[in-house]
Amino acid sequence: MIRLGLRLTVTGGREAIGRLVLIVIAVAVGVALLLATVAGLNAVHRQNDRYAWLETGYPGAGASVDQGSAAKQGETTLWWRLRADYFHGSVIGRVDLAAAGPAAPVPPGMAKLPRPGQFYASPALARLLRRTPADQLADRYPGTLAGIIGTAALPSPDELIIVIGHPAAELSGQPGVRPVSRISTTTPGDCTGDCALGVGTNANGLTLILSVVAAALLFPVLILVGGATRLSAARREQRFAAIRLVGATPGQIAVIAVVESLVATVIGIAGGLGLFFAIRPATAQIPFTGERFFVADLALNPADLLIVVLGLPVAAAVVAWLALRRVTISPLGVSRRVALRPPSPWRLLPLLAGIAELAYFAYLRDIGARSHTNTTVEALVFLAGVLLVMAGLVSAGPWFTMLASRLVVRHANRPATLIAARRLADNPQAGFRAVSGLVLAVFIGTCASGIITTIVADNGGTTRFDTAAAATLIDTLAGPEQPTFKAVPAATTSALTAVPGVTGVALIHQASLPGTVPGPAYLPPPVEDLVSCTELARVPALGHCPAGAAAVVINPDFGGFGNRATISRITWHSAPCSAAQLQDLPVASVVVGTASAVAVERARTVLDLALPNEYAAQTIGELRADDARLLDDYRRLAEVVILTSLPIAGCSLAVSVAGGLIERQRPFSQLRLSGTPLRVLRHIVGLEAAAPMLVTAAVSIGAGLLAAQLFLRAQLGETLQPLGVEYYLVIAAGLLASMAVMASILPLLNRLTGPEIARNE
Amino acid sequence: MTTGTPLIEAREVHLSFGPTPALRGASLAVAAGEVVAVMGPSGSGKSTLLHCLAGILIPDDGEIYFDGRRTDLLGETERSGLRRDRFGFVFQFGQLVPELTTEENIALPLLLSGVRRSAALAQARGWLERLELDGLQQRRSGELSGGQAQRVALGRGLVAQPTVLFADEPTGSLDSLTGERMMELLSAAVREQGTTVVLVTHEPRVAAYADREVMVRDGRISMSGVVV
Repeated sequence: MIRLGLRLTVTGGREAIGRLVLIVIAVAVGVALLLATVAGLNAVHRQNDRYAWLETGYPGAGASVDQGSAAKQGETTLWWRLRADYFHGSVIGRVDLAAAGPAAPVPPGMAKLPRPGQFYASPALARLLRRTPADQLADRYPGTLAGIIGTAALPSPDELIIVIGHPAAELSGQPGVRPVSRISTTTPGDCTGDCALGVGTNANGLTLILSVVAAALLFPVLILVGGATRLSAARREQRFAAIRLVGATPGQIAVIAVVESLVATVIGIAGGLGLFFAIRPATAQIPFTGERFFVADLALNPADLLIVVLGLPVAAAVVAWLALRRVTISPLGVSRRVALRPPSPWRLLPLLAGIAELAYFAYLRDIGARSHTNTTVEALVFLAGVLLVMAGLVSAGPWFTMLASRLVVRHANRPATLIAARRLADNPQAGFRAVSGLVLAVFIGTCASGIITTIVADNGGTTRFDTAAAATLIDTLAGPEQPTFKAVPAATTSALTAVPGVTGVALIHQASLPGTVPGPAYLPPPVEDLVSCTELARVPALGHCPAGAAAVVINPDFGGFGNRATISRITWHSAPCSAAQLQDLPVASVVVGTASAVAVERARTVLDLALPNEYAAQTIGELRADDARLLDDYRRLAEVVILTSLPIAGCSLAVSVAGGLIERQRPFSQLRLSGTPLRVLRHIVGLEAAAPMLVTAAVSIGAGLLAAQLFLRAQLGETLQPLGVEYYLVIAAGLLASMAVMASILPLLNRLTGPEIARNE
Repeated sequence: MTTGTPLIEAREVHLSFGPTPALRGASLAVAAGEVVAVMGPSGSGKSTLLHCLAGILIPDDGEIYFDGRRTDLLGETERSGLRRDRFGFVFQFGQLVPELTTEENIALPLLLSGVRRSAALAQARGWLERLELDGLQQRRSGELSGGQAQRVALGRGLVAQPTVLFADEPTGSLDSLTGERMMELLSAAVREQGTTVVLVTHEPRVAAYADREVMVRDGRISMSGVVV
């Protein structure tokens, strides 16, 4: 029987070969996507592993930091400071270090520690240093390039990192410098408590998100594979009936069916492995974490491979056996065990329940029953509501399909519309099955985009702030580990104003003002930020003074979510002091207005050299981008899901339509033979494929926007903002790609319905 | 040979499928309103001749005329238009579109010609009674017996009032009683409409409904005679 199964599968004529090829392609695409997703998860962890050394010196990363007493006892072997530097919006990881003893540990990717006056740079930063004028970047880093940091210390190929050597005596006294005894091996994901800010990603959270992504991608893939295996099932079952007629037992038929599925799956897995390795370099370019990966990071563990190579064939065999159980193959023919029943309205319940749950929380917020936001419990409740809506969409899909197609049947005037709508109305489950994966992907993508767009828009946006803000540099001098800057040297201010393109410099001072409400005794007394109106006028991006004021109280929450308007439009309240009085107050930050991006980098270099401190100077744009980076990463991920799953859904639809075409080969070819133009048949096929996809995409977009709106009302009291052009472009590109996939089956129509078919069938 | 002016005619038609000759100089002329049965054993070339007359196949050699016009020189689009607007077809089986109801299947040629749905269905309903399909208008092809499905196909072939009806073994899948009833209905309908019929069959009982029968052997017309 196994030999007969192989014979029927491999040499069973053109139709059998065609079917085999289609299943193999579907399995190969599915396996490649599955492996790419698993490899993506592995890559996130590998990338995060290489961030571990940057956690050195932080208590949350374990015992790599010496407590004060230990340092005194001479256990410190290295002085270490990590801080972020910026260049045209890109973050540069800067490590300043100094050996405190002969046993100083060496960070990964370097043969030895840089000596004072030397630095190691990542390949990307070394290139940047070579092609950038020194006064914009290289002057910030004392010394000469001693070597290139190796891959072992680089999370991403584009990583900008510099490790600068200093004399221990010089570095140990500087702000933010920590005594350490070893290089951290704790990844950012495992770091708890006091960890390096902005280093790496929360790998556990990302794993959860990528798992959702994997599910959103795999669902359409499974539908595709399932659809392919059902292709021309009717003819296959008739063939089985013929074999039964000559004496085969049901068990023997099951063996043949399982062999057929196994052959296709095994070849498909081999193809999938090849496809995975072919798309691996391209996959590495997708910045799931905000940074692209090394190709080698997208690696598979033996366990991953074993699950795919052994698990999929077993699953395929089980599916083949189950499919056979749904029909009775007797020697006299085939009969279906399950009669198709139209979907009932009960299928709407989960969807309505999900929407009701989300709406209930929005209502509570509206009536003021809830005012606090963003607790973990509320997030979980929202997640449950979203999952219920997702399940509801899949459950209610066939019912909606039936309703819509019946409506079209009633009013259809053209034969193509009538036939296509009747087919969907007859078997809405099958019509919807092919696009059910798309429903989830578009829903998730739309919901995420809606929420993120609104949050970002309400905070001034990452890209929509004015150009003055993008060209305004803030050097924050105050901080928990900072010495107080009593004043900024006049030479520094002069050096800044001398930079071509710098339009003005303002100093923001700190003071305890009369009338400020003191806090609890254990907290330091509250301070206000003050700026003179003369200086504020030189940096209009920070807002304005009221008429006649000499100084104002300013709250420069440059990047925080609390700042809901563009700062430049704010008129600050006047302060009860003169401009001269401000000169005696400590400086909180230096603000530099510039007219160009080059001037920003030159001014940043001047500030870095003149006022070395824990934080690098940042533009307002960079501050906001830092806050919005994670949201942007998630939005990009949502777009990747949409862009990937739409063409897969297109493949499923193409397979489903091809199956329908094969089933109706005879009537279609006779219609054509009777003079029906090919374009009418194309119209039928096109409608059967495109209508469910477009309708479903529209419903998913609607449901996604509704869920986003309800979330925003309930959690933030906000109203959904219009989605950006980028989102619509992604949806349009995905739909176009799906249509292109479906269009690829149209030549099949011509071949399947030619006059020869009608004559010979 | 027909005694009147031929409406449709094949002259010395040759056609091969690869190395296998199907027609070897077949000639046949059918007059307007005539019902001609083309008989012959399996593989004799009778269906191929019908397909050449209907413009489905283009002969390798020879000429095909319809209404005084050479159709074998027309392009595919024009021949498709001819088949859609002037010809009707009934085949042995599997002709109905499974998604459509009985009345929609009958109305399909009208819908394809751009007739509004309500008008097309009204016309189709007129055929339900004539073809003894009352009460079956909402049935799908899977819910019809073989005889009922063939009658629906006949209605579909005739609803647009074609000039010529091509019927290829229309009773081939039916038992003798059902087949005879089908032929009675076909014969009555075409004679009422004045439709010319080219009927391919290998059954003498079916051929008996024709005005004339021709015999095809080895790709040639070997005998032609009036049915008594």
